[in-house]
Amino acid sequence: MLGKLIGQMRALLQKDKVERDMDKELRFHLEMEIEGNVKRGMSPAEARRQALMSFGGIEKFKEECREVRGAPFIDSLLQDIRYGVRILVRNPGFTVVAVLTLGLGIGANTAIFSVIYGVLMRPLPYKDGNQLVIVQQQAPLAHILNVPFSVKEVQDYRDQNQTLDSVVEHHSMSFTLLGGKEPQRVATGVVSANFFDVLGVKPLLGRTFVDADEQHGSDAVIVLSYQYWKQSHGGDPDIVGRIFQMNNRPHTVIGVLPPIPQYPIEQDVYMPTSQCPTRSSEQFISNRNARMMSVFGRLKAGIPVSQSQADLSTLASNLQQQYPDSYPTNRGYAANVVSLQEELTRRAKPTFLILLGTAGLVLLIACANVANLTLARLMRREREMAIRSSLGAGRGRLVRQLLTESTLLSFAGGVLGLALAAGGMQLLVRFAARFTTRSNEIKIDGFVLLFTLGISVVTGLIFGLMPAFSSEKNMTGALKEGGGRTSAGVKRQRVRNLLIVAQVGVSFILLIWAGLMVRSLIKLQQVNPGFDPERVLAMRISPNWSKYNTTQETIDLLQRILDKARSEPGVLSAALGSTYPLNQLGINNGPFNRGFQIENRPVPEGELQPQADFRTASTDYFETVRQPLVRGRTFADSDKDKAPLVAVINQSTARHRWGDDDPIGRRISFDRGQTWLTIVGIVGDVRQYGLDKDPADEIYIPLAQGGFGGNLLVRTALDPMSISKLMRDAVYEVDSDTAVDRVQTLEQVRSDAVASPRLTAILLGMFAGLALLITAAGIAGVMALSVNQRTHELGVRLALGASPGKILRMVMTQGMFFVMIGLTAGLAGALLLGRLMSALLYAVAPTDPITFVAVGAVLLGVAAAACFIPARRVTSIDPMLALRSE
Amino acid sequence: MGKPTDLLQGTLDMLILKTLALGPMHGWGISQRIQQVSEDVLVINQGSLYPALYRLEQQGLIKSEWGSSDNNRQAKFYELTRTGKKQLSEETENWTRLSAAVDRILQTS
Repeated sequence: MLGKLIGQMRALLQKDKVERDMDKELRFHLEMEIEGNVKRGMSPAEARRQALMSFGGIEKFKEECREVRGAPFIDSLLQDIRYGVRILVRNPGFTVVAVLTLGLGIGANTAIFSVIYGVLMRPLPYKDGNQLVIVQQQAPLAHILNVPFSVKEVQDYRDQNQTLDSVVEHHSMSFTLLGGKEPQRVATGVVSANFFDVLGVKPLLGRTFVDADEQHGSDAVIVLSYQYWKQSHGGDPDIVGRIFQMNNRPHTVIGVLPPIPQYPIEQDVYMPTSQCPTRSSEQFISNRNARMMSVFGRLKAGIPVSQSQADLSTLASNLQQQYPDSYPTNRGYAANVVSLQEELTRRAKPTFLILLGTAGLVLLIACANVANLTLARLMRREREMAIRSSLGAGRGRLVRQLLTESTLLSFAGGVLGLALAAGGMQLLVRFAARFTTRSNEIKIDGFVLLFTLGISVVTGLIFGLMPAFSSEKNMTGALKEGGGRTSAGVKRQRVRNLLIVAQVGVSFILLIWAGLMVRSLIKLQQVNPGFDPERVLAMRISPNWSKYNTTQETIDLLQRILDKARSEPGVLSAALGSTYPLNQLGINNGPFNRGFQIENRPVPEGELQPQADFRTASTDYFETVRQPLVRGRTFADSDKDKAPLVAVINQSTARHRWGDDDPIGRRISFDRGQTWLTIVGIVGDVRQYGLDKDPADEIYIPLAQGGFGGNLLVRTALDPMSISKLMRDAVYEVDSDTAVDRVQTLEQVRSDAVASPRLTAILLGMFAGLALLITAAGIAGVMALSVNQRTHELGVRLALGASPGKILRMVMTQGMFFVMIGLTAGLAGALLLGRLMSALLYAVAPTDPITFVAVGAVLLGVAAAACFIPARRVTSIDPMLALRSE
Repeated sequence: MGKPTDLLQGTLDMLILKTLALGPMHGWGISQRIQQVSEDVLVINQGSLYPALYRLEQQGLIKSEWGSSDNNRQAKFYELTRTGKKQLSEETENWTRLSAAVDRILQTS
C-alpha cells in the first residue's frame, strides 16, 4: 500500500520522465514491429502503416497506461483544480461575488471565534489555570453575594480547608509613589507572598515575593508590572534595586513581571500584605469584622469544584457557630467556590454567544447564496456536463469537479475572511475589553487558523454538495433538451426557491436581533440619568496620605484645592465627591452600602438595618452635576466640623423609608445611635451605576463633616478638556505631592456607560445588514434567472394578449410568494429564539411589536425591490423575439 | 465489455509472467514470444500489453530496467520478481485445475 503510494507520488513528481520513458518504450515497440514487417517483405511505408494500425489509437492506450501506472486520483485532482481555476477565472463576475460573500461570512466567523476562543475557551495563562478557584463569602439573606474577607477569616480558610492546596489573599489600593518625574498614583495589588507562585508567574527581572517579605518589620519591597515598567520607567533594565517613596517609607524594587494578563485587575505595582498601612495595623488584623480582602486558591490535584464547595460550606457553618456575632443569622452566611475562568468570563458569555450565533447564521446565508449562484451557473453548464458525461466522465467525477470548484471558492473566501478578521481585530479587542479582562489574550493563532480552515472546508462542502446532488442522473436527457427545462432544471428551481425561503427566514431573525438591540440602545440613550454631564470635567486626586494625619488635615487640603479650582478662569463651579455618576470604578465596585438607623424606629433584634449607598459631597456638588434639589436644601458652607451633623437623601430613600411622610428634619444614625444626622434636603434620583440600573437608595454627608471625596468635578463654560491642564496645575500648586489621574469629561463617562450595548448593536447591525444584502442579491439572482428561463413562456402569454403589467404582477407575485413563506418562517424563528436575546436587552421585550413590524417592513421592501429590478425586464420582452429564442 | 475482459486480462497477466519466467525480456519480445509459442493463436494487442505490464509492475510482480536490445537499441527489459514467481506458480496451478475441470465437463456432454 505504502509502496503503491510512493510509486504514485514518484509518478507524480517525475511525470515528465515517466512520460518520456513510456514514449521511448512504445517507439521501440513500433520500430521493432516495422522492422518485422519489412523482414516479412513489406515496403517501408506499408510496414509503418501496418504497424501503426495494429497499434490502434496510441493516445488512448497511453492514457490507459497512465491510469495504470500513474497517480490517477491525485493526478485527476490536480486536473480538477486546474480546470476549476480556469472556469472560475473565466467567470470573474461569479467568482468575485462568491468569494466576497464567502469572505465576509468566514471573516465574521473567524473574528468572533477568535474572541470567543481567546476569552471563553483558551485556558487561563497561568499554571494549571483550570485548578484556580475564587472563594467568596456570601450573606444570602441580605442578598450580598460577595462579602470581602477579614484577616482572621483568611487565616481560618487557609488553615481549616481540606481541598485547597493554597489560599491567596489580595486587595487593591492606590498609593502615591514619589521619586519619579511627578507624584504618581499607582494602582497597587496588596498580596500574600504566595500570590505569584500560585498563579505560576515567573518574573521577567529580579524576583517575586518570598515568605520573608511578608513578615512584619521586613524591608519594604515592590514588584512592578510589565506595562507600568515600560510606560512609566521606559523599560529601564536597571530598575531592580531602585528605591521609591511610598507611604512615607522607602520601597525597593525587587522584580518586574512578564507581559501577561494580570488577575484580578491590571495593577501598576505589587506589595506584600505587611506593607499596606491599613492591612498591617494591629487593630485591623485582630478584628474579624474588618473585611477588605479577596481570596482565591488552587484546588488540590483531582479535586473537583463541587467537592471544594462542600468542604468550604462545612467550614463556613463551623465559623458561623463559633462566632455568632460576626455572622448574624438574619444575614445568612455561606462560602462560595467558583472556577476563576468562569468568573472572569461570566459577563462576556451572553453577548459573545449571540454574536457567534449571528455570525454563523450570516455564513449560512452566504452559503445559501453561493449555492444558488452555483445552481444558476450549473443550469447554464448543463450541456457542458452532459458532453463531459457522454465522453466518459462518471457521475462521481462530475460531482468531484463541482466540489473542487466550490472548495476553491471557499478557500479563497477563507483567505479573504482571514484578512478581514485580522483587520478588525483591534476593534474587537477593544469591544471585548468592556466585558472581560481577558480581552488582551485575543489573537489569531494556530487554533483560530484551524477553525478558519475547518469552516472553509465545511462551507465548500455545504454549498458544493447542494448543487452537485441536484444534478441529473441521466445526462443524455440534457443533451437533447434545452438546458433550463429538463426535469433537473425543475428540481433545481425548487432547491433555489427553498434556499430563498431559508435566506429570508434567517435574515429576518438576524434583523430582529439587531433591531431589538438598537431599540434597547435608544431606550438606554433616552433614559434620564438624573444629572447633566455637559461641560463637566472629572479628575481623581490622591493626596500623599503620610503628610495628612488627621481627617481634619485632609479636609483642609481638599478645601484648599477646591478654593483654588474655583478661582481659575472659566470655572462655573467646582465640587468634590466620593464618586460621581456612572464612574467606571463605582460601576465595577457597586454601591458602597452601609446600614443605618432611623430615629424612633428601632430595628428589632435579628432584622437587617435599612441599607443605603453612602456618599460624600462638598457644598457645590449637586449644583455642579446638576442633580436637582427636590425639597429642603443642599449642603452649605456652615455645615462644618463643629456644626450640627446633616445629611441629604435622594428620592428613592425618601420613598422607601418615609413613604408619604416628610423626612426633612428627621434624624438618622450610622453608628447605632451614638451620633445623629439631621436630614436637610431631598435630591433627585441619579442612575449612578449604569443607565440600565434603577437608582439606588442614597445618603449624602457633607465633605466638611468627616467624609473624604477624592474626585474633583468642575463645571465650565468652555470645552471641559481644555481646562484639564489648568486644573492639574492648580492641584499641584496647592500640594505638589498630590497625584492626579482619571481625567475625563462626564460626557465621556456617560458615553462609556452605553459603549458596550452600542458596540453590540453596531456589530449585530452590521451582521444583519450583511445578511440582508446577501439575501437581496440572492432573491434578485433567482428572479433574474427565472425570468430569463421563462422568456419563451412569457412571450407566448404576451402574444396571446396578456398586458405587460399583468405579466409583471404575476412574476412579482410568484417571487414574493417565497419571500412571504421565508418571512413567516423567520417570524416563528424570531419568536422562538428571542429569549436568547433578553439578557442583552433593556426595557424592550424580545417580542417587541414595533421592532417586528419595522423589520418586517424593511425586509419586505428590500425583497420587493430585489424582485422588481429583474422582473421589470418582462415588460420589455418582444413576443416575437421571445418565441424565436429557442 | 465487462466480464470477458477480466478473464482475458487475468490470462494475459499469467502468460506474461510465464514468458518472463524464461528470462528478462522487453515488451515487443514478450508479444512476439507469446505469438510464436501459441503458433499465432494468441495475438497480443499492444493496447493491452503495455497497460498489463505497467499494472504488473505496479503490483510488484515484475520489475523493469533499461538495457540494450539484440540490435543495440535502448529497450526496457522486464523481469520476474520473487513475488512474481510465487504468483506464477499459484496461477499456473489454478489454471491447470480450471482447465482440467472445463475439459472434463466438455468431454462428458
